[in-house]
Amino acid sequence: MTFARGVGQFYPVESPLHALDPRAKVVATAVFVVGLFFVDSAVGFLAAGAITVALVAASRVPLRAFLGLLKPVVFIVALTFLFQVLFLREGPTIFAWGFLQVHEGGLRLGLLLAARILILVTAAGLLTATTAPVALADGMEDLLSPLKRIRFPAHEVAMMMTIALRFIPTLGEEAEKISRAQAARGADFDSGGLVRRARALVPILIPLTVGAFRRADELAEAMESRGYRGGVGRVRYRELRFRARDAVALILTFLAAGAAVLL
Amino acid sequence: MRIELEGVRHVYSPGTPFAVEALKDVSLGVEAGEVLGVIGGTGSGKSTLVQHMNLLLVPTAGRVLVDGEDARSADRADLRRRVGLVFQSPEQALFAPTVEEDVAFAPQRLGLDEEEVRRRVRETLELLGAWYLAARSPFALSGGEKRRVAIAGVLAMGPEVLVLDEPTAGLDPHARSELISLVGRLKASGMTVVFVSHDLDEVAEVADRVCVLEGGEVRAVGPPAVVFYADPSMAPETVRVAAALGGAFPAVGRPVRYRETLSALGRVMGAAP
Repeated sequence: MTFARGVGQFYPVESPLHALDPRAKVVATAVFVVGLFFVDSAVGFLAAGAITVALVAASRVPLRAFLGLLKPVVFIVALTFLFQVLFLREGPTIFAWGFLQVHEGGLRLGLLLAARILILVTAAGLLTATTAPVALADGMEDLLSPLKRIRFPAHEVAMMMTIALRFIPTLGEEAEKISRAQAARGADFDSGGLVRRARALVPILIPLTVGAFRRADELAEAMESRGYRGGVGRVRYRELRFRARDAVALILTFLAAGAAVLL
Repeated sequence: MRIELEGVRHVYSPGTPFAVEALKDVSLGVEAGEVLGVIGGTGSGKSTLVQHMNLLLVPTAGRVLVDGEDARSADRADLRRRVGLVFQSPEQALFAPTVEEDVAFAPQRLGLDEEEVRRRVRETLELLGAWYLAARSPFALSGGEKRRVAIAGVLAMGPEVLVLDEPTAGLDPHARSELISLVGRLKASGMTVVFVSHDLDEVAEVADRVCVLEGGEVRAVGPPAVVFYADPSMAPETVRVAAALGGAFPAVGRPVRYRETLSALGRVMGAAP
């Protein structure tokens, strides 16, 4: 059993995308994703898809990592597609068999929705795969810092995000360790019906939760003992620098999003 | 039962930037009824090695033989019952509301009837001197108590081979010596024990044979005296003292265990003017 390995994980290789400023990447991803919701033509989706594929290639992250990312959403995509195809009765009938009727409008919307979800997930995965968690959190903190004026705890939110991201692989590893320890005691996670499988997870989830609380306590103590008192007056070891190439990337994203919307 | 590893190699996350070759080419036998000590530093591959003994990890290359047959063709569940593996910090996997129920987990998986399960739970907890904890919550115990309960959870399956991965890590001296005497009792009852540790003294104390791992390779295997005297840099402090004294005082001989060294030193001091 493998837990949370590779999904949404930072993939440390060198590429033009890895080198970009995290703030540029966060904004670009947001613009791209929002833009995606305004696209409603096949040409628009082809363009958005082509851009995504090109970016995936440029990221030098192996395709396998992205396929792993898409695996859990395939079910949702398939379900969305089927719903649209079977229940939306718009436009001329393409196919009819008893009560099953497939209309052109349904097929069209099903395909567009499926494409939208797949591109969306890939774009989000591209961001986390090419941005180190700490850089991502720093970027978020900077982007949220204007909200500090209305007392929005930007630093705290960013810190919570860093910690959460940092501990996903750790908890994954721990879950794997515990599941192996239980397997050594005869636990079986891969057979039986849904209920039996869910029950088989109890011996993993309880120790995992207990361990997570213990870790949280230890981390809080370690941070306090090193003088952490929240964001006030805190400086950074690595300063983010917004370079020309970041501006270029952003402008290109805006143009691409605009073009995809208009198409 | 006899376990044999033949040219076992293990790579974690192969084909990714996270790939690590934990075992390079390890061949090692575990004889029935012996206590085999596995020593090595952090990252030497000790834990990876022992997880191959019940096929929780499958070798990237090479074979694991159980009584001469490839373990991959054996029934996994049965193999895991016969080779009980106690992980490092096994107390992290405790989960049931009471100690008794937690220890009962493994025998229940074996499909034994309730009475037999109860009998085994009681027997194992008594063997470990932990029966008085039966009704307590496993989360409310001390470190040493938790460790004993976790070991009981594996022993209750009635394994033929017990593999202990760093069983004394983080224990106080008292709990540590109790654990070592437990290994002695298990051996006396005919069980095969694989004892993983980075503490040379401890391994010298319990092991019939010692396997020294370094960088995923076996550097030496043999009786403690042979391994430790062949390369004193791999020996516990007591052996180094004895080896240094042995030249001047032949009466010291070749002690391996702490107690033997003490009595040899006693003899030398008695003989000296």
